[in-house]
Amino acid sequence: MTKKPRSRGKFRRRLAGLLALGFALLSVGLAYSALAPSPPVAQAQDDAALVRKGEQIYNTTCISCHGANLEGVQDRGPSLVGIGQASVYFQTATGRMPAVRQEAQVPRKPPKLTPDQVDAIGAFVQSHGGGTQLPNVPGEQLIGDNPARGGELFRLNCASCHNFTGRGGALSSGKYAPALDGVTETEIYAAMLTGPQNMPKFSDRQLTPEEKKDIIAYVKSVTDGNNNPGGSALGGLGPQSEGLIAFIVGIAALVGVTLWIGAKS
Amino acid sequence: MSSTDPEQKLPSEAELAELSREDLVRLGGKLDDVELVEYPDPWPVKGTRAEKRAERLVAAWFLIAALAGLAFVVVFVAWPSAYVAPDQEGYFAYSLYTPLLGATLGLSVAAIGVAALLYTKKFIPHEVAVQQRHEGGSTEVDKATFAAHLADAGVRSTIGRRSLIKRTAGLGAGAMGLGVGVFALGGLVRDPWAQTDTPNSLWHTGWKSDDGERVFLRRATGNPEVVDLVKPGDLDAGAMETVFPFRESERGDHEALSKALKRSDNPVMLIRLRPQDAARVVKAEGQEDFNYGDYYAYTKICSHLGCPTSLYEQRTNRILCPCHQSQFDALNHAKPIFGPATRKLAQLPIAVDEKTGYLYALRDFIEPVGPAFWERKS
Repeated sequence: MTKKPRSRGKFRRRLAGLLALGFALLSVGLAYSALAPSPPVAQAQDDAALVRKGEQIYNTTCISCHGANLEGVQDRGPSLVGIGQASVYFQTATGRMPAVRQEAQVPRKPPKLTPDQVDAIGAFVQSHGGGTQLPNVPGEQLIGDNPARGGELFRLNCASCHNFTGRGGALSSGKYAPALDGVTETEIYAAMLTGPQNMPKFSDRQLTPEEKKDIIAYVKSVTDGNNNPGGSALGGLGPQSEGLIAFIVGIAALVGVTLWIGAKS
Repeated sequence: MSSTDPEQKLPSEAELAELSREDLVRLGGKLDDVELVEYPDPWPVKGTRAEKRAERLVAAWFLIAALAGLAFVVVFVAWPSAYVAPDQEGYFAYSLYTPLLGATLGLSVAAIGVAALLYTKKFIPHEVAVQQRHEGGSTEVDKATFAAHLADAGVRSTIGRRSLIKRTAGLGAGAMGLGVGVFALGGLVRDPWAQTDTPNSLWHTGWKSDDGERVFLRRATGNPEVVDLVKPGDLDAGAMETVFPFRESERGDHEALSKALKRSDNPVMLIRLRPQDAARVVKAEGQEDFNYGDYYAYTKICSHLGCPTSLYEQRTNRILCPCHQSQFDALNHAKPIFGPATRKLAQLPIAVDEKTGYLYALRDFIEPVGPAFWERKS
């Protein structure tokens, strides 16, 4: 009879110990997942195979303007040391690079490189001096949930060049801010982060990632025909074109009705 | 004056009582020298199917007006009108709210109009009338007697010899008119230079500090209450940010914070040049210490006509004004290099607060921002 309670006590102690261990592990794990900063990139920059593949593509695609060691070539292309993967992604995924010729501004065109190749060159360039990288999340996760605040920020930071519904506009000496139709979330994010061509850069200290996502939500809500309740956007130029059309159509209708009334009586 | 026509013979009171409605209408026309040549009943045979159809047509349009009006009320009250983003469920229904309001009310108004037009067309007789046109003006007798009548009224009022009343009436009306004139024009008379040294005069902006309190640079985040000050290091090289003045004493003061964000001459472009560009900067005389490292702060208000010049090209370092295509060189104390602007953009002297590490304005602009005005000499 004395043995039984002892063994029960031992069992209890063991059970309690196991539970305590499990609880401790669980809480440490939770605390870690809560406190540990999520890795800013999942780009496999240490992935030697990817970097090598990127180097091969670089040597056949980019080398003539950007140089054998990414140092740039006078009057052709700038140095790519330290520009980072985000910049490479924007330039190649939008088809701007490889460029066709030297001109005021390199235009968007269908991409020459596949997404795999874009990733490989990104990893290769990233391995030369680092630089800004994109968050490794699918584009849908870059859409914020407050397009109203995004609109405020867009009008303050972006609208002066891109027009307040993303129609784009002219800059100096043949340059222009492109329209934002048909641009993916990741591309908008990369553009804000890296400031391609003459666009200013918007670092994460200036516009937080959440603010960038809200801006993307706003851009998405006014481009690609989403800001078009009347059926035809009329160029999205604002009151001029709309007023002109309203005037012509309205006056024509009024004249027509007047003629009809006059003809009938 | 057809009543004076000698041919006309007016009926006596007894005869008048005998006359039917149609006779009275004809008599009225005759007195005015109007003769109805044709006055057809549109439906001479009563109760035909065509007449019934016309009647039903008009009624149908009135019914449409009634239904559309009721539909408007229903849509106004019951249709989902709360904002739904384009990619969310229920957006289509929401997007129809305003068009439906317009369509229903418009249809209602239009249907009433159509019904009224149709009624006129179908049921009102289309008469043909001839009215005689008389030569010349009124007769001499009429003119003379009427003029005498007016003069008589004037004389009998005795206003001509009551000069006290005449003068006081003139005085009262004149003073009243003066009051109206002062009311209308008085608001326009104002001395803009009565408070020349306050932040509210044209010479100064909201960056002016009256009591020596430091004016920090803050960014706008879409919420005036959230004060986000700017540190050097917040901007990447080749970045531009619009900043507004902020005083620590205004923290929590919603009105003051919004005012600082909205005041028209407050926005300042904080530009961080790329290092290789910063090495080429040419500073204006007297503005040698206005920058902080690669950071340069220029007013966003164009020196030509006051548009926001916030199109910054980070590689060419040009600042563009969208209104009249003026261009300013950020490396050359923002002096104009193209377009109608003739003066440089005013530069805000900035420094870093030793305690907090935030950027602040050393003082107000040393020149007025924006377009020229009469008293401005430069």
